[in-house]
Amino acid sequence: MTAGLVFKRLFDWKIRGVRWVEIIGGLLVAVMVLSVYIAKAAAAREGSQIGELESQIAENRQRVRLLNAEISRLEQPARLEALSRAAGLGPVTARRQATEAQLPALQAMPQPAAPVPAASVPAAAPAAAPVDDAAKPAGEAL
Amino acid sequence: MSVQDQRAHFHRPAPGIPASQGRPFGATLSPWLRLFAGGVWWIEHAFERARADGRPEEDTRVRIFLVMVVFSVVFSGLAIGAIHSALFADRGAAGRSANPNALERADLVDRNGALLATNIGYYSLYIHPAEVWDRRQAMVDIRRAVPRLSANRLRTAMFGDRRALVAQGLTPNERRAIHDLALGGVEFEAEDLRAYPLGTSARHLIGASDTGGIGTSGVELAFNDEIRAAGAAGRDFPISIDLRVQGVLENELAAAAIANGSKGAVGIVTNVLTGEVLGMASYPATTTKNQAVSAVYEMGSVFKTFTIAAAVDTGRADMNTMIDASEAFMVGKRAIKDFHATNRVLSLEEVYLHSSNIGTSRLAIGMGGNTMRDYFTRFGLLAAAPIELKESARPIRPREWSDTTLASLSFGYGISITPAQMSAAMGALTNGGRYIPLSLRKGGALNRGEGRRVVSEQTSQTMLELMRRNVVRGSGSHADAAGLRVGGKTGSANKLVNGRYDASHAVGTFAAVFPADGPVGTQRYSILILMDEPQTWPRTGGFVAAPAVGNIANRIAPFLGVERRADAYSTALGDKVPSFQDVEGDGR
Repeated sequence: MTAGLVFKRLFDWKIRGVRWVEIIGGLLVAVMVLSVYIAKAAAAREGSQIGELESQIAENRQRVRLLNAEISRLEQPARLEALSRAAGLGPVTARRQATEAQLPALQAMPQPAAPVPAASVPAAAPAAAPVDDAAKPAGEAL
Repeated sequence: MSVQDQRAHFHRPAPGIPASQGRPFGATLSPWLRLFAGGVWWIEHAFERARADGRPEEDTRVRIFLVMVVFSVVFSGLAIGAIHSALFADRGAAGRSANPNALERADLVDRNGALLATNIGYYSLYIHPAEVWDRRQAMVDIRRAVPRLSANRLRTAMFGDRRALVAQGLTPNERRAIHDLALGGVEFEAEDLRAYPLGTSARHLIGASDTGGIGTSGVELAFNDEIRAAGAAGRDFPISIDLRVQGVLENELAAAAIANGSKGAVGIVTNVLTGEVLGMASYPATTTKNQAVSAVYEMGSVFKTFTIAAAVDTGRADMNTMIDASEAFMVGKRAIKDFHATNRVLSLEEVYLHSSNIGTSRLAIGMGGNTMRDYFTRFGLLAAAPIELKESARPIRPREWSDTTLASLSFGYGISITPAQMSAAMGALTNGGRYIPLSLRKGGALNRGEGRRVVSEQTSQTMLELMRRNVVRGSGSHADAAGLRVGGKTGSANKLVNGRYDASHAVGTFAAVFPADGPVGTQRYSILILMDEPQTWPRTGGFVAAPAVGNIANRIAPFLGVERRADAYSTALGDKVPSFQDVEGDGR
């Protein structure tokens, strides 16, 4: 009973003729409205960012498709063959082919021509020459 | 009720009338409606009731309560809607530029994922003439920005009276160029068009689709539904083609056809175990017809392979059988002669290697029409090749199976088949004897099972051996590729011109398989090359088609994982093993 009375007095407590419960309620509503507004504004900003990114992704995806198609166009067999033939390239004969397992055998071949360029050109030149010479006799011997 | 009551107030249902007609209106309605009507009645009369009870304030409370309930329900609904849209709305929807004209077609790729066909976004240009400020100036500006636009169409649209389409297939750059002019009344619509980046490569095979995204030919038509389904699921659609093999096939085919001046040419590479087509080319690339499946040819001596296979399979002949080819073989009044006449008794191998018409005619007539028809049916030579392509044509079959027809059939005349049929039949002969339908589906045809039995495994092995020997020391020597153990059979036929076989119009064929050695179940690949009307002499398959086969085998073997190895006839580098080392002991 006493508790009920206390509660009623508390409820009826007014500040400048307005119940404090109503003031607090009003304040809470104001805070809620503001926070909802801020949250919504932030969400809208992020939403538009997401939309922008997604449209960028879609655009890039389209671009990737386009580039893939371009790669495919540039790599079409007829074009590659025409370019290779124009560059003087052609299929390698069986005698000049080796499998992975045969590589050690190729390396083991003697290289009689190797020391010659080393004597005439003292600097970096010999590095390229022996490799070139090594390939030929090895391939022929297969 | 009393006697003073008005008559009109008195109501008694007449006898025989259903009781429901005498009841209030609400009683005829459904129970729920009746309850609702009762509630409304109760609310409407609450004030009167309260006044009658001497408690008018209760009525006011009831009304306020009801109004509150109604408002609460409405605002709760609004609040739930607001929360839902705030929390669960699709945020990206606003910024997404979805193309309503997007094609639902998957990218076509080869078995390794190389792109064969794709959809590319373009724009179509529309003009709304009523909104254009200065039409003449706008026309000049637009033409300057994109010179390739048709002036006539632009003028028609610009001076028309309603929104009209000016051009399709504008690239993003062209769109930007026009957009940057900042003209009124110019609109763009995004659209997808099917693009074939390979140009003429594999064009007969891939086919085409219309602007609505429906396949109209080739693979695009054959797998239309599946390609659309894959597109809807965002997947690529792989086909059995290996673009590297296809490229080699096309290049070598074109090179050979140009070298010998052929009017047309066809090449097919298949995996004989699965029936997968790894490459299919039709020369020249400028024609739209895929001659590999839609053109029929009399192929000549390649058919001797089937005749001899049937003879071996029925037990009528084996490697030791001797056949008399010393003089022309008379079938009625018709004398059958050999192109490379030997005028002696030949072994089965010699019949095959010398491509003896007399020998195979004797075998075919010996077997009889029923047996030959049975084998030709099982080899699939009498029906359209069961490949997915809708273009697959029916063969021209013999009308009757008399002795003279059998003789013609035995060396490949009197029957016209498509190269695809020949490729499938050679596959059946060399894969252990089962007919596997050709397929452009990666992994082979669906539900193909084991395939029907055509010849026994032993016959298949015998024929492989014969085909290999034909390349080593017979008419197919130009097809040999170092260490790849190529086997095959040449075919040369004259074409019917004005009702007569004309030697100047020939078809040269080479049907090959590699590697020809190894047990049943070895991965083997078949190569079929056909040259239509070659202009160089000799016009036989051994000279016009076989060299291309050798080149192709040489180049595609690394892609297919076929290693170069020695066999009984040559070393891994292609050097011949002297014949005294021949361990087969073929009795010559």
